[in-house]
Amino acid sequence: MILFTSAGLLMLLSLSIPVGIVLFLLAFGIDIFFSPFPLMRGLGQVVWSSSNSGTLIAIPFFVLLGEILVRSGIARRTYSALEAWVSWLPGGLIHANIATATLFSATSGSSVATAATVASVAMPQAEKLGYDPRLFSGAIAAGGTLGIMIPPSINLIVYGFLTETSIPQLFLAGLVPGLLLALLFMCVTVIMCMIKPSLGGPGVNADWNRRLKSLIDLVPLLTLFGVIVGTIYAGWATPTEAAAVGVAMAFVIAATHKSLSREMLLASLKGTVRTSAMIMLVVIGAYVLNFVLTAAGVSRALQMFLQNLGLGALATLMVIILIYIVLGFFIETLSLMVATIPIVVPIIVELGYDKVWFGILMIILVEMALITPPVGLNLYVVQGARKSGSFSDVMVGVIPYALAMLVMVGLLIIFPMIALYLPTHL
Amino acid sequence: MQKIVCWLKSFNEWLAIAAGALLLGSVLVTLFDIIARRFGMSMGGTDELSGYAMAISTSWGISYTLTCMAHVRIDLLRARRASKGRAMFDIIAAVALAGTALVVAYRAWPVLARTIKFGSTANTTLETPLWIPQSLWMMGWMWFSASALIIATASLLAFFSGRFEQVNSIAGVGGER
Repeated sequence: MILFTSAGLLMLLSLSIPVGIVLFLLAFGIDIFFSPFPLMRGLGQVVWSSSNSGTLIAIPFFVLLGEILVRSGIARRTYSALEAWVSWLPGGLIHANIATATLFSATSGSSVATAATVASVAMPQAEKLGYDPRLFSGAIAAGGTLGIMIPPSINLIVYGFLTETSIPQLFLAGLVPGLLLALLFMCVTVIMCMIKPSLGGPGVNADWNRRLKSLIDLVPLLTLFGVIVGTIYAGWATPTEAAAVGVAMAFVIAATHKSLSREMLLASLKGTVRTSAMIMLVVIGAYVLNFVLTAAGVSRALQMFLQNLGLGALATLMVIILIYIVLGFFIETLSLMVATIPIVVPIIVELGYDKVWFGILMIILVEMALITPPVGLNLYVVQGARKSGSFSDVMVGVIPYALAMLVMVGLLIIFPMIALYLPTHL
Repeated sequence: MQKIVCWLKSFNEWLAIAAGALLLGSVLVTLFDIIARRFGMSMGGTDELSGYAMAISTSWGISYTLTCMAHVRIDLLRARRASKGRAMFDIIAAVALAGTALVVAYRAWPVLARTIKFGSTANTTLETPLWIPQSLWMMGWMWFSASALIIATASLLAFFSGRFEQVNSIAGVGGER
């Protein structure tokens, strides 16, 4: 049964059948071959109750927020403000890439959108100032992944929904690891550029006057982040309500940048529906598979299997991490998450690990999936924003940052408190 | 057939705008609720209405994602093939999708039928007659299976008349953003 599920999953995926549909098909297959009673009679009810959700509507809200921000023209101002602050470090503008990605991801909640936005603003600079294209584009691809870690995060909402974990708790848990990871990225850049200065390039000459003036361009995004995250943490608003407020604020930001128009609104709405329906088909599929796996006892069979292997908790965790890294080369973020959650999370809980903590660990692992070739969406997004140069530049440039992520995985395992301090103390 | 696919694309675009407007409306209701609550006159039921908006906009939106070719596919093996091989992968994907969509739409009916039979209302203060959101939701899935059938048929026709590039453009993998 375990073999059937995992082999079926990989085979159907490699046939390039849409991921959401693969999950449905697997559920149908398990029902036909392994379930003692017909589960699919309840299919309609499961699909209805999974999508009729006042919690999940936070997903399209955050997608809409991001769509508006991306089109509002605020990315350029944010970038130029941040380059005044951080480009004196060895590595120059590369730090501005990471910082802009961090700040943008703190509001938009999507990695691909973050990488695309930062790339479109930053890439022309790199070519003009003679940066090494590899590290420069690698930093954008890796910085963009922070979007799914720093709250608000669509992926954490999906994780919370499928595993019945508190979403505000997950958001709290993601904050410190996300910032720490951004810091690690910057350290890696400094070290690389100290060893080999030709990797970097000139920063911008900014005096304190310019720096202080530029702060005003950071106000909109920082306020947006503060309001969304602050109201959730203070318990004043649910993630859905905070997202609705965020959408309203994004409209205000776009209006002050005079980029609000009928075309822009229509394009944002279409983009929102396309992206969130794409996410939802996968989520509904995972929900159906989850239901079938539990009802047919596959989850229990898998736990028995692992127990019989006689590995300890830590060794089992290592095996799971290794599986994620390997699968991450071939499957992209959300699909990797939802396809594995129904199988892996029950095991993790059984082993005595914390669900919130594992959610964060899983996010780092799927962040790696975003930047590991051959299937790494962010690599393609960044490459798409470049005018010239080969794809392997981005691939090579991202390696140091992928290693930094591995370090972060290690840190989280040794010091779980990095993730769990805020949720347990607030 | 090509004409029908073109029409389907632009029709689904309108549906997407409608679904987006529904989401926007839901944002407004949520905002109104937050403000009204401050003044102690919460009407309640916002969460319930958002749930319906989510179910309906999702079931109608997936058709647009389909015609944008934006449903995630792992095209590791597919990308290595020439246009004929790619077209075969696309056909498999399109047929699997249409079949699944049909099954879900078929299984959605009993949900609505039971609601109508018992005249069920939501177990909330709004006492929403559930047939309203559920029938809109079910029609979305029916439209999704209709769209999927059109796409699958059009790509099969193109495949058997040897127009492999056309299959890629009907049922292939869309560009990122």
